[in-house]
Amino acid sequence: MNKKFSVILLVSFICTLFLAQNSYSQDAKLVPINIDLPKSMFVGTPTNMNIEKLEKPLGKPRAPFLAPEGTKNLALGKQIISTDDMPIIGEIEMINDGDKDADDGYFVELGPFSQHITIDLEKAYELYAIVVWHFHKQPRVYFDVVIQVADDADFTKNVRTLFNNDLDNSSGLGAGTDWHYVETAEGKLIDAKGEKARYVRLHSKGNNSNDLNHYIEVAVYGK
Amino acid sequence: MIKKDSNTNIDRRNFLKLTAAAGAGIILSPYIKTNAQSSVTNDLNVALLGTGSQGQVLMNACLKIPNIKFKAVCDIWQDYNQKRAYRLLKKYGHELNAYEDYREMLAKEKDLDAVIVATPDFWHAKHAVDCMEAGLHVYCEKEMSNTLEGARQIVNAARRTGRLVQIGHQRRSNPNYIHCYNNLIQDAGLLGKITTINGQWNRSVQPDNGWPKNKAIPNSVLRKYGFKNMNQHRNWRWYKGLGGGPIVDLGSHQIDIYSWFLNTPPVSVIASGGTDYYDPATHEWYDTVLATFKYKTDHGIVRAFYQTITTNSNQGYFETFMGDQGALTISESAGRVGVFKEATAPAWDQWVSKGIVVAPSEEAKKVETKAILDVRETVAPPKHTLPIEFNDPYHKPHLENFFNSIRGKDKLNCPVEIGYETAVAVLKVNEAIKAKREIRFNKNEFHI
Repeated sequence: MNKKFSVILLVSFICTLFLAQNSYSQDAKLVPINIDLPKSMFVGTPTNMNIEKLEKPLGKPRAPFLAPEGTKNLALGKQIISTDDMPIIGEIEMINDGDKDADDGYFVELGPFSQHITIDLEKAYELYAIVVWHFHKQPRVYFDVVIQVADDADFTKNVRTLFNNDLDNSSGLGAGTDWHYVETAEGKLIDAKGEKARYVRLHSKGNNSNDLNHYIEVAVYGK
Repeated sequence: MIKKDSNTNIDRRNFLKLTAAAGAGIILSPYIKTNAQSSVTNDLNVALLGTGSQGQVLMNACLKIPNIKFKAVCDIWQDYNQKRAYRLLKKYGHELNAYEDYREMLAKEKDLDAVIVATPDFWHAKHAVDCMEAGLHVYCEKEMSNTLEGARQIVNAARRTGRLVQIGHQRRSNPNYIHCYNNLIQDAGLLGKITTINGQWNRSVQPDNGWPKNKAIPNSVLRKYGFKNMNQHRNWRWYKGLGGGPIVDLGSHQIDIYSWFLNTPPVSVIASGGTDYYDPATHEWYDTVLATFKYKTDHGIVRAFYQTITTNSNQGYFETFMGDQGALTISESAGRVGVFKEATAPAWDQWVSKGIVVAPSEEAKKVETKAILDVRETVAPPKHTLPIEFNDPYHKPHLENFFNSIRGKDKLNCPVEIGYETAVAVLKVNEAIKAKREIRFNKNEFHI
């Protein structure tokens, strides 16, 4: 077997594996989605992290995420609402304004304990990835992060959970099996697996520093 | 002064009604009381003076302590930090007012018991003294002041007014540190004769603190409160005359522990440092400091090294006390704590059985049989641990100690005399760097 043939075989195998995990159309050309990353910014004194099922740091940049050509951030500038309509600081619109800087003035701080935000994409799209930056000024861990998509704004129709690290079901959305993770400037990328939906909802319930819920940016990649 | 919030975003409210089912429980009950078990006699009315990042840390820790009622917040950055603290406390059910000028706050708030001062260092003396003169107890963030004159003013005011002042060296109330001092070092003498200390606080390169441009403090207000511009206000720790640089911001906490654990302040310090990496125009204080203290203890000479660098976070922050029988590495960061027996020291079984230390886990004691021993090195000793699990916010026990002292149920862990002693030791490091020579302390310098 010559080297060229081996490479082709390997690429075909990887693509087959990838497509097997997603419902993308078989003829879609897959390309890396372009995620503009903010500057990394850990400031101050991190608190102890004695947290169950905490992902170890990757130690290197995240691998490119492949999605069908033409995929873009559908959340940018779309209508977004929150269970806390009077944030402690910041504006709800900051969540999908494209600015991912961690500094003061770039995040919205929602009230304590369970809160969620809902993004209306205006019509149903095929979704490939959701990337969320809660707060990356410090290495924080947010609790009960549950990310769902649905066909209606009230999340009663065709609700699908894409990520859930509420291990003890304390938020009442079902016990999750995903691990906790430390916020970084890369954001957390959730594979949306080509689910078709109009509404995206992100839940959280405080973090390891305080009871509050923060969002710097949420990007929803699809087409 | 903020009296109430307003919200004019009708569209969002209407959209919210459409999705009320999921969020209704939260929207209808936005105020969370933290003091469900409150009793009238235990309630303390508190104001937070300085609602920046450190003020917020203290505020969040207070929210975990029952019977603390915030009645006021005060900060010159009305459009951001002041609003943020005010709104947060409102969400927790506190009925409070917000002020820009602390003198107005002291004049109008007549039922305060205490003030938490978390303003920039150069304001500490004025704020703490005026609060005491108003009859209030004070929790004052460290450093007591950016000058010894300012620190002396706080000590004298505390004595004059009889008010309680807790200086914010919060490790003094940390159960791990208290256990190590009382039980491991004083009672058990587990380390033997302490000869050397090594400590550090290393941080990665960090950008200057920014601010939302549409929320900058007006220049007239900045100048009124001693700042030349917004950048200086946001990064005051780097400026001479306002803060003390990393050796004061970071090193002070740990150098305080050196003197505490050794039962004596240092006799001399020699130090090297400079603004080697950042722009000296905006980073007037030294970004790199290496200091060596000398202590004369009842058991002999102890030499203590301390470094703080702001260009690399290698190994983070810790203090290691080394004696002829063992070493203790301790840190607020629980993962770094360990106690290590010298191979030649007597067995520690009795200290394990008495609960002074926890024996190394069986896994850690396993010898890797395939390893090739390099005979040029000492074999690493197994790591004993401490029998305490502490997962609260770092500042919570120190604040509790302050509040319980006001109630007459406890004694301050870091009164002004201790804070002053540490301020003398720490502020001298910057002097030693400038002088480029060893500076000897006069024992009387540490006392007023």
